[in-house]
Amino acid sequence: MSGIFGALGIAGTGLTVYRKWLDAASDNIANINNLTSTSKDAFQARYIIAQAVDYGRGTEGVQVGGAVFSGKAQGKLVYEPDNPLADEDGNVRYPDINLGDQMGNLIMAQRGYQSNLAVVDRARDAYQSAIQLGRA
Amino acid sequence: MSIEPIGAIGSGFAPVAPISGLETAGAASGTGGPDFGALISGGLEHVQALQTRSDNLAVEAATGRLQDVHDYMIAANEAGLAVQLTVALRNRAVEAFNEIMRLQA
Repeated sequence: MSGIFGALGIAGTGLTVYRKWLDAASDNIANINNLTSTSKDAFQARYIIAQAVDYGRGTEGVQVGGAVFSGKAQGKLVYEPDNPLADEDGNVRYPDINLGDQMGNLIMAQRGYQSNLAVVDRARDAYQSAIQLGRA
Repeated sequence: MSIEPIGAIGSGFAPVAPISGLETAGAASGTGGPDFGALISGGLEHVQALQTRSDNLAVEAATGRLQDVHDYMIAANEAGLAVQLTVALRNRAVEAFNEIMRLQA
């Protein structure tokens, strides 16, 4: 990874991680109203695990180590007797996802993506200046 | 009156000693480090590899298989920088060569 223009590649790994985080947040928001019958599990929010590539030494970029599901599988029981999916007590399951939390995650992921883009820009400018060093 | 003849130069002057170590210094400066041609061709190979990677990502972008937009942009930037670096090195070398050639004028 750390070639002659190492900072570009490292910022690229950060961009990939934040892109995946954006994907996860958008997935959670897209599925936030998935209601299910009480005989099935509710949709669970998905989160990524970001970790250093060289885990332990903390060098050379970042990667997605895996995904975790958060929130209860039983979700939120809501009384909707008119719903065709309702059980005999009139309950359905909604996912245990908070839209405010997801919007906060979305903003963090977006800002992280932007910061890594800024790193790419600055690194390219710096390398370019170095190449043009001493040019008349 | 008699003029005294000039006598032999006495042994007060030490003979000029040859400077030692010249040969080894000359040999070292001649062979030290890789030569410029090898450096440039190594750099060109690096540029070639980066260009190939960038081209492959461009094809992926065109065919819709590209996962990350920034991957392509970063690869393209990297390839461009590598070309700039190699060209800058080559220009400097030619400049230096021309400067040396102008010495006789």
